[in-house]
Amino acid sequence: MTTRYSRFLSACFCVFLGGLLAWHLLLPDRDRSDVENRTLAQFPEFSWEDLKDGSFTKGVEEYFADQFPLRDQWTGLKARTEQLLGKREFNGVYLCGDALIAKVEPPKDGLEEKNLSYVSRLAERTELPVYLGLIPSAAEIWRDRLPRGAESWDQAAFIARAAELEGVEPVDFLTALRDHAGERTWEGIFYRTDHHWTTLGAYYGHAALMEALGRGEEVPEPETVRARDLPVSNGFQGTLYSQSGIHWLEPDSIEFWVEESGLTVTSWRDGTPKEAGLYDYDYLGKKDKYSAFLGGNQPLCVIQNPEGEGKLLVIRDSYADSLAPFLALRFEEVHLLDPRYYRYSAAKYAEDNGLDAIAVVYSVPNFITDRNLVLLTQ
Amino acid sequence: MVFSSLTFLFGYLPLTLALYFLTPLRRRNFVLLLASLFFYGWGEPVYVGVMFLSIFIDYTHGLLVERFRQRDRLARWFVGQSVVFNLLLLGFFKYWDFLAANLSLLPGITVPQLGLPLPLGISFFTFQTMSYTIDVYRRDAPVQRNIIGFGAYVTLFPQLIAGPIVKYKTVAAELVHRTVTSRDFAEGACRFTAGLAKKVLLANAAGALWESCQASQNAGALTVAGGWTGLFAFGLQIYFDFSGYSDMAIGLGRILGFRFDENFDHPYLSTSVGEFWRRWHMSLTSWFREYLYFPLGGSRAGSAKTLRNLLIVWFCTGFWHGASWNFVLWGLYFGLWLILERFVFRDLLARTPVLVKRFYTLLVVFVGWGIFAMEDLGVCGRYLAVCFGGGPLWSAPDGYRLRSWALILLLLALGSTTLAADLWKKIPERGRKVLAPVLMALGLVVSTAYLVDGSYNPFLYFRF
Repeated sequence: MTTRYSRFLSACFCVFLGGLLAWHLLLPDRDRSDVENRTLAQFPEFSWEDLKDGSFTKGVEEYFADQFPLRDQWTGLKARTEQLLGKREFNGVYLCGDALIAKVEPPKDGLEEKNLSYVSRLAERTELPVYLGLIPSAAEIWRDRLPRGAESWDQAAFIARAAELEGVEPVDFLTALRDHAGERTWEGIFYRTDHHWTTLGAYYGHAALMEALGRGEEVPEPETVRARDLPVSNGFQGTLYSQSGIHWLEPDSIEFWVEESGLTVTSWRDGTPKEAGLYDYDYLGKKDKYSAFLGGNQPLCVIQNPEGEGKLLVIRDSYADSLAPFLALRFEEVHLLDPRYYRYSAAKYAEDNGLDAIAVVYSVPNFITDRNLVLLTQ
Repeated sequence: MVFSSLTFLFGYLPLTLALYFLTPLRRRNFVLLLASLFFYGWGEPVYVGVMFLSIFIDYTHGLLVERFRQRDRLARWFVGQSVVFNLLLLGFFKYWDFLAANLSLLPGITVPQLGLPLPLGISFFTFQTMSYTIDVYRRDAPVQRNIIGFGAYVTLFPQLIAGPIVKYKTVAAELVHRTVTSRDFAEGACRFTAGLAKKVLLANAAGALWESCQASQNAGALTVAGGWTGLFAFGLQIYFDFSGYSDMAIGLGRILGFRFDENFDHPYLSTSVGEFWRRWHMSLTSWFREYLYFPLGGSRAGSAKTLRNLLIVWFCTGFWHGASWNFVLWGLYFGLWLILERFVFRDLLARTPVLVKRFYTLLVVFVGWGIFAMEDLGVCGRYLAVCFGGGPLWSAPDGYRLRSWALILLLLALGSTTLAADLWKKIPERGRKVLAPVLMALGLVVSTAYLVDGSYNPFLYFRF
């Protein structure tokens, strides 16, 4: 190695390390990342106490990683490299042709059985009929699309076990979705870049729920429900897009089928009722477009339709955001309660508000990992 | 701080190097000491105190040994005192809980467990400082009268937390006087980048495969094929992880003006278990040989004593790797194979074709990794039982794993041979000149992408 060449190589090394450091320092800090849908770590405040227990230096490391320049591009580059190396799984997400499917890990600490027992306890506590609808995720419905031999926890077996639960009526989302698994009309039944079901999937979901309630004949054909003049968003890149780092798939489109006219939507976001809508179209301009349904997570939401029949309490996760518009068409009142944010007794709520039935509607991946369902026993 | 972190690569390292090279030569030990203490204190600020204590005690003991050199018994006493101090330090932080847990199993005895976090690199720096007083006593190295120079040796950040174990005599001269040419810097930077890529790209990929096989075992679905895939993956993970870390340490040492000894020499090409240990973690093997095996009498005092010495050394080697029975078993397992090779297989091995010998060595070593990897001996026993036929041969997830990792496994297997180095030498000088910066940029950029993604970056040698 000549001196000149050595200097050149050394310079390459220094420029890369020093250059990124300088870039990092000059780049203004961001508050949140839309792609990751979370707030980013800021530089921690110094205190001797934090230094001593190591939380200060840990905070600096988090800050350093979160504010790193071109964060999303680096993640994309990693996914590309992994693909070149023949990997099919990207941070827990399988790449299956043109779709991403999240792998479901086996539940820990027997949480799935505990949560089932909480649902039975709810049924014991209330006079109202209790329905349990577990929504299988794409990894179950589209199992044949997974890479050959790829593992994902058996949701169908769990749903079958849940159907045996005493005192609780099952809602058969599994069969309803399986019957339409191959459907390619409109958006398909699951998003390709997000873990939720699409509006079409939610339509079949609501049909299954009505079936379980003995009102299956009320459900019209999808073509007649689907309104033509509501906006459609074509640029939806969902949670799996972020989680996997796979940024090269065609974005999803989001459809809105149900017209809002005649419906009253009341959102309880901070303990006080506020008038809201079935859709919050502001979200279509943001990354998190799925939140356009009902405007995203909230403790309690009530939808009233004078032309509907019956009053239903839905204890639910975010899958119900896109399900709610269909239920609104059928019921006089639909109360959507999210136990992650609503901390009081569900049974008491149903009685106080004169409701007719309680439906626990949860996606399997959330049901087997949620630690808030114990609140159902209150 | 670990080398394979964004904070180190794009914060600590460029700033430290800038400071180091802006400082005049004779002040550099001081900068190095400060920078290393900062590096050390980053993860466990409180343990900087342990470091100061260690520096102070070993520094004074070195002086005492030198001062009483004429009175041999006193000098030996001070060497002993320093060894005892270092072993107590190591014993207290690393082995207390293990001893307490095991003693408490005896009826009528309860010893409280402390649950203290292990000071980073304590297994490495206590061994280094022991070598210092012993080397001074043996006249293998001059005494260090400058406490800053000595402190810089003890805390030297490139090898502080994961080795190689640098004997004092190796760097004694460079501590006093060292120069860094641009060639040293360039070669050090290349070596560092290669080590980084080995750790971040290859070792972690193998680790993910090993975890997937472990998950199969936890689900009760391990097959013979899955079991061997897992052992193979773990063996490659630990090799690329550890040798990658050693490469980074050696490269950083080079950049700062130190030449550390090599720590790995393609161990998976060995043709006997004995040879494997001469090519794997060489700085540890040679430390035990020089400071334990030879002082015990080595192999010169008859078969019975040789046998005893081998068992002692391999018990210690195993136990050094972690305070848990599986590590003890792992050490003794190798001790047993070395005894067999020395006393039983010697003639047989001499007549065996090279390929068969390589296969035999790999088999012994990779089964050994099973014992090393699984601390719970029950889990370990069940896992190995499946490997040797106690389960179904094959299942669909094995096919998925092999398809997903085929290319990576091939790269790992080839990467543990001399193939890459041989090919590199075949490329004409001009081609290498073009390729070197391209490969360096590629290694840095892709490693950065993996670090930023950060989904999977555990560090195996934290236990040490």
